[in-house]
Amino acid sequence: MAARPVVLWGLLGAALALGQAGCMALVLDAALAPGGIGSLWPLGGFAALAVMRTLAAVAADHAAFAAGATGRRRLRSEAMARLLHAAPQALRDVHTGELITIVIDRIEALDGLFARWLPASVLAVAGPVLVLAVVAWVDPVAALVLVAAGCAVPLGMVVAGIGAGAAARSQFHAMARLQARFLDRVRGIATIVAHGAAEREAVALGSAADELRWRTMRVLRVAFLSGSCLDVAMVAAIVILAVRYGAAWSAGALAVGPALFVLLAVSEFFAPLRAFALAYQDRLHATAAADALASLPEDPPAPPAREVRSVSAQGVSVVFDNVSLTWDAARGKALDGLSFRVPSGETLVLAGPSGAGKSSVLEILLGFARPDAGRVTINGADIADLVPASLSRLTAWVGQRPVLFAGTIRDNILFARPEASDDEIARAARAARMEEFAADLPLGLETLVGEGGYGLSGGQAQRVAVARAFLKDAPLLLLDEPTAHLDPATEADLLDSLRRLLAGRTVILASHAAAAHLFSGRRLDLRNGRTDVERGVA
Amino acid sequence: MIILGRILLLWRARLGWLLAGLIVALASLAVGLGLMAASGLVFAGGVVLVAPWLSGLGVARVALRYVERLVTHGAMFRALADLRVWFFRGLARGGAGGLGLRQAGDVLARLVGDVEALDGLYLRVLLPLALALILLPALVVVIGAGNILLSLIIGVLFLTAVVILPWCAARSCLAAGRNLAAAAGALRIAALDALTGRREVRAFGAEGRMLALVQGREEGLLTAQRALARRTAWASAGAFLCAQAALLALLLAAHLSAVIVIPVVLLTLAAFEAVSGLPRAGALAGHAAAAAQRVLEAAEVPPPVPDPAQPGTMPKGFALRFASVQFSWQADRLPVFSGLSLDVAEGARVALLGPSGVGKSTLAALAMKLAAPQLGHITLGGVDLATLPADAVRSRIAWLSQATHLFDASIRDNLLLARPGADDPALWAALEAARIAELIRTLPDGLETWVGEGGARFSGGQGRRLALARALLSQAPVLILDEPCAGLDAETEREFFLTLNDAVSGRTLILIAHRLSGVERLDRIFRLSAGHAVAAAG
Repeated sequence: MAARPVVLWGLLGAALALGQAGCMALVLDAALAPGGIGSLWPLGGFAALAVMRTLAAVAADHAAFAAGATGRRRLRSEAMARLLHAAPQALRDVHTGELITIVIDRIEALDGLFARWLPASVLAVAGPVLVLAVVAWVDPVAALVLVAAGCAVPLGMVVAGIGAGAAARSQFHAMARLQARFLDRVRGIATIVAHGAAEREAVALGSAADELRWRTMRVLRVAFLSGSCLDVAMVAAIVILAVRYGAAWSAGALAVGPALFVLLAVSEFFAPLRAFALAYQDRLHATAAADALASLPEDPPAPPAREVRSVSAQGVSVVFDNVSLTWDAARGKALDGLSFRVPSGETLVLAGPSGAGKSSVLEILLGFARPDAGRVTINGADIADLVPASLSRLTAWVGQRPVLFAGTIRDNILFARPEASDDEIARAARAARMEEFAADLPLGLETLVGEGGYGLSGGQAQRVAVARAFLKDAPLLLLDEPTAHLDPATEADLLDSLRRLLAGRTVILASHAAAAHLFSGRRLDLRNGRTDVERGVA
Repeated sequence: MIILGRILLLWRARLGWLLAGLIVALASLAVGLGLMAASGLVFAGGVVLVAPWLSGLGVARVALRYVERLVTHGAMFRALADLRVWFFRGLARGGAGGLGLRQAGDVLARLVGDVEALDGLYLRVLLPLALALILLPALVVVIGAGNILLSLIIGVLFLTAVVILPWCAARSCLAAGRNLAAAAGALRIAALDALTGRREVRAFGAEGRMLALVQGREEGLLTAQRALARRTAWASAGAFLCAQAALLALLLAAHLSAVIVIPVVLLTLAAFEAVSGLPRAGALAGHAAAAAQRVLEAAEVPPPVPDPAQPGTMPKGFALRFASVQFSWQADRLPVFSGLSLDVAEGARVALLGPSGVGKSTLAALAMKLAAPQLGHITLGGVDLATLPADAVRSRIAWLSQATHLFDASIRDNLLLARPGADDPALWAALEAARIAELIRTLPDGLETWVGEGGARFSGGQGRRLALARALLSQAPVLILDEPCAGLDAETEREFFLTLNDAVSGRTLILIAHRLSGVERLDRIFRLSAGHAVAAAG
C-alpha cells in the first residue's frame, strides 16, 4: 500500500514529539525545583529531537505526494481509457464538460484520498495509542481522561458524517453542472454577445455560482461540526487536566514534571485526530468522485479476437443481412430489417432524407453500435466478432464536420497514421488538394489550428479529413455526407479529390437524395430504416 | 505579487464579509491562546481563580472556532462567485468574435482551475497573515514583560516564520506555480481534445495514442506539482525549526534563571502552532499569483471594436448602407473588401451571393460591429456605426451566423436568448416558420426538450432549424441569415423559404447564400466578388 511510508514517518514524528515533551518537562521541572539547576542533556536532547522531527516531517510530505501521485495516475488512466473505448452513443447525453470534470478535477480531488485520508485514518488510531501508552505510564488517571475524550471524537464524526455524505454528493453535482455550464457558455460566447445577452448570462452565472455556494455551505455546516467535536474533546481534556493538576498544586502534592509532560502530550494526542478530521473532507469528496467514476460506461466485453482473413490489398466486402437497430425506443427503429451487399472495390451510395437510417449503417460499420437483430459481415466475418483495433485498421472515415485537434494541420493529417513518412504526408495533402490553401497560410501545413478548426473554412477542414483518409489508405471507406455543409464551388472541388479517394476501395457513402447523383456507384434509397420500395435498388 | 492586489480590488464589494471573517478569526485565536496560557497558570497556584475562567474560555473557544469557519468560508465563496462573473463579463467584452485560437479548453482551465486556485488567497494566505501580524506585537509585549532580550529573540524567530520564510516560499514558487498552471491547462486541453474528437479517435484506432498523450501531459502536471510540494515542505520545515528554536530559547532562559515561564512556554507553543500554515500559504500565494495572471489576461482582452466615448443617438430608421468600405482581418492578409458599397433600404429583401471565402460572413461581422472597417463608413438609419454603442447596434440586427451555438439547455431557453420573456405562441410561431414545430410537437417534453451539447440530441439539419427559429424570434428590424439552409434537404429548404416570405414582412432581410432555391421573394440580388458587390438582378 502506497500510504505505508506516510504512516511510518508520521508515527516516528509522534514518538519524537513525545521525546521533546519529556525533555521540556525535565527542564522546566528542574527550573521550578527550589534551588536546583538541572543537567544540560535534556536541552541538548530537545534540540536534537527537533532536527530529527523536522526531517521526519519533510519525509512524510514527500511520501504523501508520492502516494497521491501513484493513485491519481492509475485512476486517470483507467477513466480515460474507459471513455475513449466507450461507444460514442453511450456518452451522447453527457456533456464533454462534465466528462472533463471527472477526468481532471474529480481525480485531482482524489489526491486527498491517497495522500491524506488513507494515512490519516491509520495514524488517527496508531498515533493516539502511542501517546496513551506513554501517558498511562506517567499518569494513569490522565490517560483515562484522554481515552474518554478520544472516544467522543469518532462518535461525533459519525453523527456529523452521515448528513455530510449526502450533502457532499449534491455539492459535487452542482459543481459538475456549473463547470459544464461555464464551458457551454464560453463556447457559445459569440452567440451570446450577438444576441446582446452577455449581461443576462453573467447574472445567470452569478446565481448559479450562488447556488453552488449555498450547497457547499450546507455541506460545510455539517462537516465543520465534526471539527467542533474535536475542539470540544480537546478543550475538555485540557480543562479537566489543568483543574486536576491545579488542585494537586494547591494541596502541595503535584509532581510538576509528569504533569507538564501530560499537558504537552495532550496536543500530540489530538494532532492525528485533527489531521483525520481535516482529511474527512477529502474522503467525502472522494466518495462523490468515486460515484462519478462508477457512472462511466463499462469497458465493453472484449469480443473473441478474430482478425479478418483478408489483407488490404485483397479488398473488403460488406454484407448487411436483415439488420435492425433501435437507438431510442420512443423514436422507433432506426434500421428495420435492412439487407444489402457491397462487393469488394465497389461503391454503394445510401440516399434518403434525414432520419432514414443512413447514419445508423455507418455507425454499425464504425463499431459504434451493434445491431439488435440480423448480421453484419465483413469478408464473411461477423462484425461482432472483430476486435475494435482490427475493424479500425480496415476502415477510413470522413464525416460531416471533422474534428480538428489542437496542433498543426500536419499533426492533424498525421493523426490517421502516426508512423507515416514526410513523403507520404505530402502525397496525402496533395491528393486532397490541400496545397492550394496551405500555400496561403502563414506557416503552410505547420499552421496551428484551434479547437474546432478555427482558421480553416468548412471546405478546408473537410480536405484535412480527406487527406487523413488518403494517408490511412484503408480498403473500406465510410463517408457521411462529406459535402453537406459546403457551397457548390467548394463541393465540386472536393468531389474531385473524393472521387480519386474512392477509386479501388470498397465505399459506403451516405448522401442526401439531391447530392446522391454526384457519386458514381450503386444507389440504395432508404426510408424509415428500410430499402425504399418505390425506388428500390437501382 | 502585485497581480494579487488587483484581484483583491475586485473584491472591494465583499469587504464587509472579508473583514467579519478576520474579526471572528482574531477573537477565536485570542481565546485559544488565552486558554493555553491560563492552563499554564494553574502551576502558579491560581486554580481557584482560574477554573471557571478555563471553562468559560473553553466554551467560547469551541463556539468561536465553528463560527469562524462558517463566516470565513462564506466570505470566500462570495468573493469567488464575484470573480467568476467578472471573468465571464470580461470574456464577453473581448470574445465577441468567437474564441478563435484561444481554445475553449484553455479558457475553461483559466475559468475553473485558476479561479479556484484563487480560493486559497483569502482563507489560507491573507487571513493567517493578518492574524500573525496582529499576534506578533502582542507576543513580544507579553514575553517582554518578563525578559526583553528573550522577547526580541522570539519576536525575530516569529517574524522569520510568518513573513520571511513565506515570502521566500512565494518567490521560489512563483515560477513553479506558473509551470503548474501551464501544465494543468495542457492536460485539460489534451483531455478535452481526445473526448471531443472521440469519434475520430475511435474511427482511426487512436485510443492508445490519445491515452499516451494524456498520460504524458499528466506526468508534466505531476512534475510541476512535485517541485511545488518539495519547496513547500522545506519552507514548512524552516518555520517549524523557528518555533523549536524559540522554545529552546525559553527553556534555556528557564534553565539559567529559573523564572517561572510555564504559561509563556505554552503561549509561545500555541502561537507558533496557530501560524504554522503560513509557509505553505506563501507557496500557495506564488501559485495563486500565476493563476491570477492568467485570469486577468483572459478577461482583459480589449473589445474588437471599442465603443465610442460619446455615443450618438440611436436612429429610428434602419436602412443599412456600406460606403466604400475597405477591410482586412489582419494587416498582413489580403483585404476582404476594397471599396465595397452596398445599400439595403428599410424593409428590403436582399440576397448576397458568392462562393465561400469571398467575405459574405465578414460583411455580417462588420454590420454587427464585431469588426470595424479600415476605410469607408457603415451607416444604420443614416448614422455612422462607429458613433453607436455595439450593444445598441446588435439589438437592431439579428444574425444567424454559420457558427451559431446551441446551448446545452431546453429548446425554450435556447429560443428565449433572442427575445427574453417571449410567450409560447411567439415561440411556436418562430418554430413553425423554421419548419421544425411539427417535430417538436411529437417530442414528449415539447419545448422543454433538452437540446444537448451543441445541439447533439438533434440532427445537424434540425439543429440548424432551431437556430433559425431563434433568429426569427428576435424582434430586431434587420435580419441577417447566413446560409440558413446549410444541412437541410432541398424539400425542406423550399418550404422554409416559402414560409420566410411571409414571416419577416416589414423587416429588412439580408440573405447570405452560395445559391438560391428559386422560391425566395427578393427585391435585389448582389453578387460578391473581388471585394465588391455587383447587382445581379432586381
